[in-house]
Amino acid sequence: MRRMLPSTATGALLSVCLLATTSTAWSQSAAERAVEAAQEYSGTEITVLYEAGLQALDASNFAAERWEELTGIRVNVVESPVDEIFTRIMQAHRAGTASFDVVNVIPNQMPDLAMSGALEPLDDYVERYDYAQELELIAPVYRDNWMRVEGTIYGFPDDGDVLVLYYRKDIFEDPENQEAFREQHGYDLAPPTTWEEYREIGQFITDKYAPEVYGAAGHFQPGNFQYLVQQRFRDEGGRFFDPETMRATINSEAGVRAFEGIRADLEMMPTGVEQWGFVENLNALLAGDVAMSITWPPVGRWAAGYGAETDALDWLPESQVSGRIGYALPPNGQPELAVGWALSLASTSENKEAAYLFMQWMNSEEVSLERVQLPFTLRGPFRESHYQDEGFRNLWPDAGDYLDTLWEGAQSGILDLSIIQIDRYEEALRQAISRLWAGDDIQEILDDTAEQWDALTDRIGVDAQRRAYEDWASKPNAYPTQ
Amino acid sequence: MLIRRSRADEAISGTADASRHPPDSPARARPTIFASDRVFKYAVITPAIFFILLIGLYPFIKLLLTSVQNITMFQDDTSYHGFIHFERLFSDLRFWSSLARTFAFTAVALPVQLILGFLLALLFVNRMPIRQVFVAVLLLPVVISPIVAGATWRLMFEHRFGPINQIIGWFVGEEVRLLWTSDPILVWPAILIAEVWQWTPFMFLLLLAALSNVGREQLEAAELDGASWWMTFRWIVLPAIMPVVAIALLIRGLDLVRIFDIIWTMTRGGPGTMTESVSIYAYHMAFREFEISYSAAMALVIIVLLTVLVVAALSRVEISR
Amino acid sequence: MNRWDHGWRFAVRIALAVLAVMFFLFPIYWLAAISVKSPSEIFAHPPIWIPSSINLNTYGALFRDGDVWTVWNSLVTAGLSTVLAMIFGTMAAYSIVRFRTGGPHLSIWIISQRMIPQIVIAFPVFLLFVAWRWIDTYHGLIALYTAFNIPYVIWMMRGYIRDVPIELEQSALVDGLSRWQVLWKVIIPMTRGGFFATAVFAFIFAWNDFVFALILTRTDVMTYTVQITGYFGSQSTFWGKIGAMSMLGVLPMFFVVATMQRFLVRGMSLGAVKG
Repeated sequence: MRRMLPSTATGALLSVCLLATTSTAWSQSAAERAVEAAQEYSGTEITVLYEAGLQALDASNFAAERWEELTGIRVNVVESPVDEIFTRIMQAHRAGTASFDVVNVIPNQMPDLAMSGALEPLDDYVERYDYAQELELIAPVYRDNWMRVEGTIYGFPDDGDVLVLYYRKDIFEDPENQEAFREQHGYDLAPPTTWEEYREIGQFITDKYAPEVYGAAGHFQPGNFQYLVQQRFRDEGGRFFDPETMRATINSEAGVRAFEGIRADLEMMPTGVEQWGFVENLNALLAGDVAMSITWPPVGRWAAGYGAETDALDWLPESQVSGRIGYALPPNGQPELAVGWALSLASTSENKEAAYLFMQWMNSEEVSLERVQLPFTLRGPFRESHYQDEGFRNLWPDAGDYLDTLWEGAQSGILDLSIIQIDRYEEALRQAISRLWAGDDIQEILDDTAEQWDALTDRIGVDAQRRAYEDWASKPNAYPTQ
Repeated sequence: MLIRRSRADEAISGTADASRHPPDSPARARPTIFASDRVFKYAVITPAIFFILLIGLYPFIKLLLTSVQNITMFQDDTSYHGFIHFERLFSDLRFWSSLARTFAFTAVALPVQLILGFLLALLFVNRMPIRQVFVAVLLLPVVISPIVAGATWRLMFEHRFGPINQIIGWFVGEEVRLLWTSDPILVWPAILIAEVWQWTPFMFLLLLAALSNVGREQLEAAELDGASWWMTFRWIVLPAIMPVVAIALLIRGLDLVRIFDIIWTMTRGGPGTMTESVSIYAYHMAFREFEISYSAAMALVIIVLLTVLVVAALSRVEISR
Repeated sequence: MNRWDHGWRFAVRIALAVLAVMFFLFPIYWLAAISVKSPSEIFAHPPIWIPSSINLNTYGALFRDGDVWTVWNSLVTAGLSTVLAMIFGTMAAYSIVRFRTGGPHLSIWIISQRMIPQIVIAFPVFLLFVAWRWIDTYHGLIALYTAFNIPYVIWMMRGYIRDVPIELEQSALVDGLSRWQVLWKVIIPMTRGGFFATAVFAFIFAWNDFVFALILTRTDVMTYTVQITGYFGSQSTFWGKIGAMSMLGVLPMFFVVATMQRFLVRGMSLGAVKG
């Protein structure tokens, strides 16, 4: 089955190319079709829910204006913090209010939202506006895992998120450092391939450069960090559940190892790093205060100084490290495909056609290619064409490397856990992280978390949850291959 | 300035009730839309009662019904399920610890505010240049939203960009990076400081009014008799201000028991559930987990608990008859 | 106690007073300073106490992005609910004072309604508003604020109406005014100071509310307090916007303190302590 995939994908690609070349006379692109059909709804307004902050600039600084120009449909952007997105969508659904038309959905929550009826099935729309072919061109890992619930399309994967490692080439490649490091640890100073190396390298750099430069930093606020915890846990060989009994196994030895490792890592990082969010970490990396950081794709663009003149980014400190940042996969080589976003249609929407067309237009080949290159948004490349685009590959000197690393991560990456009522399991995990930072006993934290998970599973129903978990765990990207 | 007219005892028992001899048969010169006072008195109170029922009666009935059903995020099961949610609540450690935490915090914050408020009132009860301006400034925290107060203190406590750690650093002589809103040892003190900052002025305001009303003659007489400061305080001042203290404690105590906003902006109940008050936990279950029926049971228990508390407190203190 | 001793004690009192004022004023100053700092000053380490220039860009951004709309929502909901609560509450208070409607227990029951945690009230009201499709509407939020403020208004106006000499009313009735006219032409003018103060406190409550707005609004009617909490993202915290939006919410309250000082004690002590 897995061996067949590439050939079908190539087949699809081929047929699309054929279509595109032979039939330009009558066929427009999906984006053009969307615009044309949407003109009928000129004068209406649609409301789009985005993650608060930079993500929302995607619409408010780019797409909203353009879409209104093209179609006369006004776009109203509403923002919500990432760990409340699920709640906001559910609240609107439960309240029966047409608060949103288009919602940004975190793919691992898509099954919950779809099952509860908060999202509109999209297959009919896709057919009506002839979007299936372009939809197929989305990178396989996102297309196959972030689009459908039980065979029905509920969202368009719209952000190729993957956590990659950014490191300071100048520090890593400094001959003096290289020599000293080899002497001390017996292997070459290079991007770490295990978590142990990560800690040793970080410590080495902190010992030498702190407080000017620390070995590493990250976004450790629980809302952002829980994804890396999921990765770390699986890197240590952890399994979330016992597939027979569905008892939580997060408190296994692997869990303890992961948490202990995470806590130990902090020693080589700046004090107070536990409270850093995405932007604090970004600031530190750009200012040249840290040598390694595992974070989302857009950081690589800004670190290279790309988009420095953009008004929307005037709050960002100027990158002091452009040209000196290297890209690599995080230790263990199988990065978390953390969060990611899909565009979905809210079932309570009162303007569904216009809302859908906006989604198709945003997600289409040409518009999405522009969006993933916008300097101020957080969208990462997610279509095969994005990674290969010559323009993108030349945006800054290392852009090719950057895209290759992201592409590589999209192949080997592992998925966020997705089971029934995942937001509540994640909530327990977020609490566990905040207790980890508070200094509680690790085994105790994990036992409590496992207990909470078990209680949740019992309430949801062991059999139902087992089916959901088996379905998720059977995916090739659920657990690391090594 | 603040107190001019009344004496404290009168303040507590309410002013002389003018309706002691109600005009039950007033002259009516012409017919009105209200056929009689009898109709009138009910007609004018009806709209208000109607509104109050929205918060006074309806919630109780709705909660009662919902709590014996089984409505969750995914199902609208409105059939009768008995008391399963109450049973679950009974063994829900997180609920009981949030309740215990709330009362414990109240027990700490209330006396701190009272004592600081009292000391401030002592400081300002005598004449002082531009006293009125000082008092006005002291009152600012009371009228701002607790959300803003929480946000302000979160800015103050920010470990790198906030002034608190900087000031501590001056005294310690080296840079400190205390994580006020995530360190389990510091997080409650941080909330306490914010809470005390906002509400000490409330205590101050009431106690200043009470102190200003203590009879000057009595104080002078006590001084002439050579009574010590403590004796004067214990036998003259304290009895005079006690009723006001009771009311201040009642009002603030009930506010503290439902504390939500200031914690929400400062910690959201974290780290873990360390600062989760009972209101925050109720919000969490109802609006994040959508355990509708379970939350109804919880809300019902809180209502019953608080109603008993409020009625008991109100009848003891007798704000006014 | 000699003169010098007296002067010394006076100096200590003044010093303590100044210290206290600084403690209570400084956080508000810090908030105001954050709102006019440039981004690099906000994120300066060590913190900068005095901004080098008054930078109004953050306020500009609030206006440009439409965030100030939430201040308008607060104004509308708090304002209209105050008007309604004053009208209905004063009517009810008059009935209770002059006719002892409901007896002594009604009053206690009424004021106790205000002391239940908001979350416990908001939750069933949420379910009701869902059924009525009142979530995220002005009338929904106004109705709840009105309901929550009426007990306070009744309680306070009861006290003020009692202070009106009964003879005035009687002579008005003899002059041929109806009860209804007495209420609006005699009672309210006679109590206007207290009436106005009560209205201001009712307004402050609704203006400062967070829990009801958090639960009953989504986007269209979101109030400024809910908006402020939205700036604490998990991705980043927008300190400048928090400062600026908070200032917009706080400034009207400063005006209140400046003009209402005479009524603060009575208003805040639920009428128990009269200033």
